[in-house]
Amino acid sequence: MGTTTDGLRTLHRAGRLAAEYPAVPRLLDGAGDDELALAGNLLARLDPDEVLRLHPGTTAVTIAVTGHGTLASLRPALTAELARHGLLLRPHFTDFDSYVFELSDPGSGLYAAAPQLVLCVLDPAVVLDELPLPWGPDDVEAVLAAKTALLGRLAARFAATAPGATLVLNTLPLLHRHTAQLVDLRARARLGAIWREANARLLRIGEEHPAIVVLDLEPLANEGVPVQDPRLDAYAKAHLSPALLTAYARQAGHLARALTGRTRKVLAVDLDNTLWGGILGDDGPEGIELAGTHTGEAFRTFQRAIRQLTSQGVLLAAVSKNDPEPVAQVLAEHPDSVLRTEDFVRVIANWRPKDENLTSLADSLNLGIDSVVFADDSPFERGAVRAALPAVAVVDLDGEPALHLPRLLRDGWFDVREATAEDRARPARYREELARGDFLQSFSSLDDYLAELDVRVSLTRARPQDVPRISQLTLRTNQFNLTTERLQPAEVAARAEHPDHLVLAVRSADRFGENGLVGAVLLRREEDGARLDVENFLLSCRVFSRGVEHAALAEILRHAAATGVREVRGRYRPSARNGTVRDLFPRYGFTAVAEQADGASAEFRHDLAEPLAPPAWVTLDSELAGPAPETGAGTGPVSVAAPGSGTEPRGDRA
Amino acid sequence: MNSVDDLIALIQDELGLPIGTEDATASFDDVPGWDSVHLLWLLTALERETGRSLPLAALLEAPSLQAVYDLASAPV
Repeated sequence: MGTTTDGLRTLHRAGRLAAEYPAVPRLLDGAGDDELALAGNLLARLDPDEVLRLHPGTTAVTIAVTGHGTLASLRPALTAELARHGLLLRPHFTDFDSYVFELSDPGSGLYAAAPQLVLCVLDPAVVLDELPLPWGPDDVEAVLAAKTALLGRLAARFAATAPGATLVLNTLPLLHRHTAQLVDLRARARLGAIWREANARLLRIGEEHPAIVVLDLEPLANEGVPVQDPRLDAYAKAHLSPALLTAYARQAGHLARALTGRTRKVLAVDLDNTLWGGILGDDGPEGIELAGTHTGEAFRTFQRAIRQLTSQGVLLAAVSKNDPEPVAQVLAEHPDSVLRTEDFVRVIANWRPKDENLTSLADSLNLGIDSVVFADDSPFERGAVRAALPAVAVVDLDGEPALHLPRLLRDGWFDVREATAEDRARPARYREELARGDFLQSFSSLDDYLAELDVRVSLTRARPQDVPRISQLTLRTNQFNLTTERLQPAEVAARAEHPDHLVLAVRSADRFGENGLVGAVLLRREEDGARLDVENFLLSCRVFSRGVEHAALAEILRHAAATGVREVRGRYRPSARNGTVRDLFPRYGFTAVAEQADGASAEFRHDLAEPLAPPAWVTLDSELAGPAPETGAGTGPVSVAAPGSGTEPRGDRA
Repeated sequence: MNSVDDLIALIQDELGLPIGTEDATASFDDVPGWDSVHLLWLLTALERETGRSLPLAALLEAPSLQAVYDLASAPV
């Protein structure tokens, strides 16, 4: 996270923060609390007029801040929160404890500043300062009655005086150091009831006046934000802690975003380990976790909350690297899935880069890409989307599903002033529109896509350091696994060293980076080298559908023909998950050796009469190139010399 | 935090104020860009940096950065 801090300091020292203001949202994307605090301090020193002069297209929001206690720390906090959303704060702070005057006098400086948003920040001292000594629940009730009535009148005055502007009030936090001054537990409970009744009246002011929004501070405090620092309360009249004001500023930032029409409309979610636990392609519909286990229940809770969002107009889409059929099956039939096909405006399950899928999704919904929120547990996918589509709001999920929901909701991406009937009907409307057009038509051809992908494939004989990974592929790969024959590391090593066997490691890369050791081919020479058997072929689901297998098979056939082999045979043994490779051999010119009964193993042969043309968009780097060593039957011992690359990415169970 | 210079550096880095070591003993009224908000921020930042609770009432009355530093670095 140092990049945010470094970037901000560098710009500040160079005096370029104003000049680079449009770059700030990207710099603050994913920033933590400390980074936002720093950003607020540095950005608050800018002159908003200077930023506007340099960037006339910037959306500025004039926010007046008034209230009871010391609120100055709101200034940097609000500055940072608005900057995060690409907005520019024009602040107007009124004098200390002047809210009654400023809101009631139509000629006040507050109204003269013509704010779009007015924050009237209330704290418990509003009430406590006016209590007699000694006091009891009835005294508190009397002060609260007067205060809520006063605030109701101020709200009405505001609505009449500043048409089109929004006034934000907040509930009053109640602290133990207040209630505990009543030693009579019955009186203490009554105080709690009276206080909350007053807060309820405050919250209802928002129902009466459309121009008023009442922020409920209790949920923020309940999640661990300290309400007060007793020392700052006593010495500096800072009756709300800097942390609570920061959390308040975050909420105000969400409101400013909504007021300026920047509410997000689309929630695009990953599936594997985001909506359910496990990898669908590997674990199968019955293997994914959606109930019955601790994490399964967490995923289910997350799904329920997403369903809740969609019911209020959020357009839900799935963007997953998966085959479409099993995804469709889970969403249609899985007994524990809360989310169903009809909850999504689009289910995109393919192997294309997610940024392309998101762009197509936004296009097909006729929405800007800045309408999209993207949630994924994979840092790679999030990084790729951030890099390609900075306007997309990215929600950082990880391996802890219990935190998915608070992370998704933290930034109120979909908050609106009032959800309308139109909002609630929106998902159904979009689904109908989308059903008319074929999503894939929004792409240029698949060939164009693959050509742009710049796929590179390398084939090498397995080296000792490749053995654990190849074993892992045989153990964990279920989809692209022709025989589902599992091999422990020692078995892989034995084959790699056997003169009649050839174990090939398949690596791939594309314009997004290295994919690592993604596949393996297990070959065996038979009949004194006249026949080459493909005993198994494994490929990680991460690299499906881009020609890796095609390139590898073409090279194996070329190598076979070049080394005196007259026939290549391949075997397919069906499993519950490997239907995707049922037709692998026939697709590439192999013919069935004999008719097979359904569900039984099949054997295929290629007579090498015609070479298999490799895919044009793949660049191949093969250790098999050139003439093979002649060792009797034509079997070269597997090279175990050259130490190759070290670590390979793990966890691609497919 | 080993000297008042570290305090100055903290303010330069975190608040972005254009101050220098010559401002250490100046009255806060004469420190460029300084206002009382910064003092509140500084108290919180100092407690974070030093990892201990500081006498806030006395700090709020300190007339200069040097005085703030002396209070913050005084033996407990």
